[in-house]
Amino acid sequence: MFGRTISRRQTLRGLGVSLSLPWLEAMGPVTGWAEDTKPGQAAPNRMALLYVPNGKNMVDWTPDVQGSEFDLKPIMKPLAPHKEKMLVLTGLAADGANSHGDGGGDHARALAAFLTGAHPRKTDGTDIRNGISVDQIAASVAGSQTRLPSLEIGCEGGSMSGNCDSGYSCVYSSTMAWKSATQPLPKEVNPKVVFERMFSSLPNAKREQRDARRKSILDFVREDSKELTGKLGANDARKLDEYFTSLRDIELRIDRAAKLPPVETPDFAAPAGVPSTYEEHLQLMCDLMVLAFQTDVTRVCSFVLANEGSNRSYSFIDVKEGHHELSHHGNNEDKKAKIAKINTFHTTQLAYLLEKLSSVQEGDGTLLDHCMVAYGSGNSDGNRHNHDDLPIIVAGGGCGTLSTGRHLKYRNGTPLSNLWVSMLNRMEVNMDRIGDSSGALPGLASS
Amino acid sequence: MLAISYKVLRALFQQREMRLVALSVCAVVVSALTSQADEGVAPDFAKAGVPFLKTYCLDCHGPAEPEADLSLAEFTTADSLITKRKSWDAVLRMLSGGVMPPADAKQPSPDEVAAFQELVDAIFERHDRTAPPDPGRVTMRRLNRNEYNNTIRDLVGVDFEPAEDFPSDDIGHGFDNIGDVLTLPPVLMERYLAAAEGIVERAILPNPPTPPRRQISTRYCEPAGQGVPEAKFRPISTKTDGTPIETGPLFTRYQIPEGEYVFRTKVFAEAAEGQSVKLAVLACTSSADDRSVSDELAATIAGKAVESCRPFVLIDTIEVTARNEKEAQTIEVQIPRIAGFNRIAVGIVKPSDEGVEHKLRIEYLALDGPKDTRPDSHHRLLASRPDASPEEKSREVLARFAMRAYRRPVTDAEVERLVALARSVEEGGAKWEEAMQFAMQAVLVSPKFLFRVELDENPTGKDVRPLNDFQLASRLSYFLWSSMPDDELFELARKGELRPALSQQVRRMLQDPRADTLVENFALQWLQVKRLETFAPDPEKFSYYNSRLQRAMLEETRLFFAAVMREDRSVLDLLAGDFTFLNQDLARHYNIADTNGNPSYGKSTREKGEPIRDRNFVRVSLPAESVRGGLLAQASILAVTSNPTRTSPVKRGKWVLEQLLGTPPPPPPPNVPELKDDGQELTGSLRQRMEQHRANPACAACHRSMDALGFALENFDPLGRWRDKDGQFTIDPTGELPGGERFAGPVELKQILLTKRVLFTRCLTEKMLTYALGRGLEYYDRPAVNRIVDSMEKNDFRFSTLVEGIVTSEPFGNRRQE
Repeated sequence: MFGRTISRRQTLRGLGVSLSLPWLEAMGPVTGWAEDTKPGQAAPNRMALLYVPNGKNMVDWTPDVQGSEFDLKPIMKPLAPHKEKMLVLTGLAADGANSHGDGGGDHARALAAFLTGAHPRKTDGTDIRNGISVDQIAASVAGSQTRLPSLEIGCEGGSMSGNCDSGYSCVYSSTMAWKSATQPLPKEVNPKVVFERMFSSLPNAKREQRDARRKSILDFVREDSKELTGKLGANDARKLDEYFTSLRDIELRIDRAAKLPPVETPDFAAPAGVPSTYEEHLQLMCDLMVLAFQTDVTRVCSFVLANEGSNRSYSFIDVKEGHHELSHHGNNEDKKAKIAKINTFHTTQLAYLLEKLSSVQEGDGTLLDHCMVAYGSGNSDGNRHNHDDLPIIVAGGGCGTLSTGRHLKYRNGTPLSNLWVSMLNRMEVNMDRIGDSSGALPGLASS
Repeated sequence: MLAISYKVLRALFQQREMRLVALSVCAVVVSALTSQADEGVAPDFAKAGVPFLKTYCLDCHGPAEPEADLSLAEFTTADSLITKRKSWDAVLRMLSGGVMPPADAKQPSPDEVAAFQELVDAIFERHDRTAPPDPGRVTMRRLNRNEYNNTIRDLVGVDFEPAEDFPSDDIGHGFDNIGDVLTLPPVLMERYLAAAEGIVERAILPNPPTPPRRQISTRYCEPAGQGVPEAKFRPISTKTDGTPIETGPLFTRYQIPEGEYVFRTKVFAEAAEGQSVKLAVLACTSSADDRSVSDELAATIAGKAVESCRPFVLIDTIEVTARNEKEAQTIEVQIPRIAGFNRIAVGIVKPSDEGVEHKLRIEYLALDGPKDTRPDSHHRLLASRPDASPEEKSREVLARFAMRAYRRPVTDAEVERLVALARSVEEGGAKWEEAMQFAMQAVLVSPKFLFRVELDENPTGKDVRPLNDFQLASRLSYFLWSSMPDDELFELARKGELRPALSQQVRRMLQDPRADTLVENFALQWLQVKRLETFAPDPEKFSYYNSRLQRAMLEETRLFFAAVMREDRSVLDLLAGDFTFLNQDLARHYNIADTNGNPSYGKSTREKGEPIRDRNFVRVSLPAESVRGGLLAQASILAVTSNPTRTSPVKRGKWVLEQLLGTPPPPPPPNVPELKDDGQELTGSLRQRMEQHRANPACAACHRSMDALGFALENFDPLGRWRDKDGQFTIDPTGELPGGERFAGPVELKQILLTKRVLFTRCLTEKMLTYALGRGLEYYDRPAVNRIVDSMEKNDFRFSTLVEGIVTSEPFGNRRQE
């Protein structure tokens, strides 16, 4: 109209930046997080887990210097503004992703083992089995205080065909969050749907009415299906059990929604669907994650930037080959440079997320101060498919429990799941083991 | 998948003397097909197998603290192997994949490995021949997204893809309908609740909307044209020499939907004192039936336009008493539902005395209606005996709905529970229709609807039992239609007559439009071409690639498979059919000009066909020398097996081995050793570089066959377009399979594949059986597969033989309890 066109994206972003917390700020120091929070109580800790596939070009990742004077290699350059807010952890390993006699399938195993510390069972579909993932353990505790226990998001849906990696069902290479050893949680890739889950479009009175109706339907269905139980074999009974678990989950969710203070739909234009470019998609998902933490819809979020083994072409940053294809670089320098370029594109998105989190004021600090954002891959060098010396970053203050701005080098082979144990403890989940962990990871709080 | 895969793969592609290869392929195939024939001599594991284990395995897998908890020392006889089938599948996989023995241990020679595998295979094969049939057990399957959408469409009659927002279904064994893999996370449960609400809201409207009203001034009625008077009350007359405009009848211009209406018009007459003037209300219809007026009756209506109103139903004739505008009278007539009713007309009944002229002056025609705009689904779902009590009505409605939703007869207790639920809603002050909505929502989120439950009375027994007819009907309909059974299948099941009618039902169902889902869900997943939707070739190299071409590529594959299915052709046409379907985009892509397959550039060999001009697809017959024809020459498949910037002969070769021949190469060993970085860059054409690559013996064994098959397709670029050069290098499409078969280019490759028709048929059978059962195949499915392949060979490889073979097979029609 005025000779200037504003893309939908700009509009969204513009709004995002000016997001004034509709109630957090207004209600003073954090009284609204949970029903039983006392005024003046510290902000809650949040956990975000971000995954990027196919490993890294490690020479462009690993800092030479340890401690607080660590150097930023090219892939980490975009994170320079947040250097003091992050920990670089090297030497950690996801042993569950190793073959252990199961042959090929390093991509599928890398994602499946990342948050679980488990060795996924090799199967193309029969008897899928992995382990419970750290986000779901956190959600089982922290989730009782929020509308949604956790959020699982991504930018690539499940694969559309085929076995995805050497005899592994696609569920392994596309799913990071596992509610139990046998129940993978699919991620939501459509920002519109994520938004609708977070913020009900119904006015509160209507929503309550609807929830009441849903509860009585669920009551009915539970009663009505009891007679099935005795007539099913073990596998079918397991499926029915899955059904009842989900049913129970929804009931709890409805109960919580009734008890928690109402979540106001923020001043954020509801996304219309999946944006046309990958970068817009990634950033919109980041925006939604920030929004979810900010409004305390959830405190746990996992985000798969691209499925493991993804062969996406990054032609928009002038890398036309497929990512997976390139990761088998055979030490070709040109290909390695391209891999580094893709890696850097991903860390740029991480920087975007950190920027967003630190732009939100919350209580005595920023939202980033009250988060733990873990970022990394279950593959180290994509060419070798090795699962030790993984590229891992943890950013954010963890409510004062993380002493950031350092590069910590662990004995190579230290279980990655030790990091998860440490993060769980910081979410006030008392667990001393998850998957193959051998204890908590030392040194995160101070040098 | 089946043990035979390894054997055949080995026979085909390992380095052996050619004669031996040919012999052993035949041996495998023959022994696989003649199931009960040659019993042969029992293989002696103690003599032939135990020494191998002792030499290469027992150091680590001995009786004391065996590695991976697997002791191989206990296996001393053929019978001992049988009890540990799963372990042995793993042992063979490790051995054939080169994973075991580990690199730092003593290595058996390839011949020793082959001999040992053959021995183990033979033991199991012999056992399977005499083993009692085992149909396996299918894990209760949740409806996947497609099935949910289709089932709602057929159950409720609303077609709006309620599953659009559901999370995508995971894939196992290549398909998205595998019971073990289809989980039900909370987020999906939430969607089910929301979807059920949306569905009943659309299907049933408790408060009928007010009928639409429309009114048109007669000035704008037909007959129209020059000479239509401007008067508020438009006249028509009975004079015999008038024009249609002057004489009428007048009728509405726009078509209206069928239904019950109230018709109104305002009118007065001009006639001599004492004359009786009659107005006729005509309901014009789209076609004639027995209610339409006869010629004689039509002749009683005045006006030149009578013929343009026909066929019509004469609704009523009404005496018009008003004689001037001030006293103009309003006439109201009820119009019942008339099939094809689409316009309303008013005319004058001819006066008994033809010499007298009558005139009517009419202000407007008005229609209120249709009286009931509720959707068909509303009436169908709530239909009940008119004389029933409200409670009986609920019972009738809910019993019918639940029976169809659960796809089986419902128990009285189930119906009573639903009726009670509805009653409680009504007691809360809701209307009966709302109560029905509520109870139906409960049905739609019940596990009895969401899962395809096959109840067992004795779920822990080991017995095999045939499925009952309702369970069989569901397996059949979800296999061929991805939806619930229709009334005909339910009726057969009710009468217990489904089994004898299976063949005839398969033929009927394949012709039904719903069978398109077999193309969409089975074929496209089998061929892995759905990946095309996310395939993004380098936009600089392939600037002409766009979503239109992408859709066209997929559509060719769809139509091609559908033709084989609906025309009941030989499945070998999938390999080498001499026809395809193209639109203009794709024809240009393939350099094909017309429906006879003549090239746009280059010499035509056949007479001209119809040019391929627009976006609609047409069938194209291909000359014998055409490089097109058959799946392997279709752009969709050639593209999904390519990388964004270049072709991948490895991926294409692997695709042929896996998807067409069912002989997947073993997975690459873990932690592939890095290629030696000796400073020498690989140079030359893609082919030359790959051959240098293969100098590495760790890769060579498997890549030789994959690459050879892929090289034959190198003339097709990453998007499937023909090329003679790749950059500066001339394409060399020759290849030699490890068995020694030589060939050049796609046409000869097709011929080679045709010689492996049994392998292909077996592969297709295994894939389709997996899809039909919703589970991965196991060793005990081998006899069923053999029987199907056998009958296909005897029936010219007809598509219907394949489908009939599956639906009448042991695993499809039976069930093991546990």
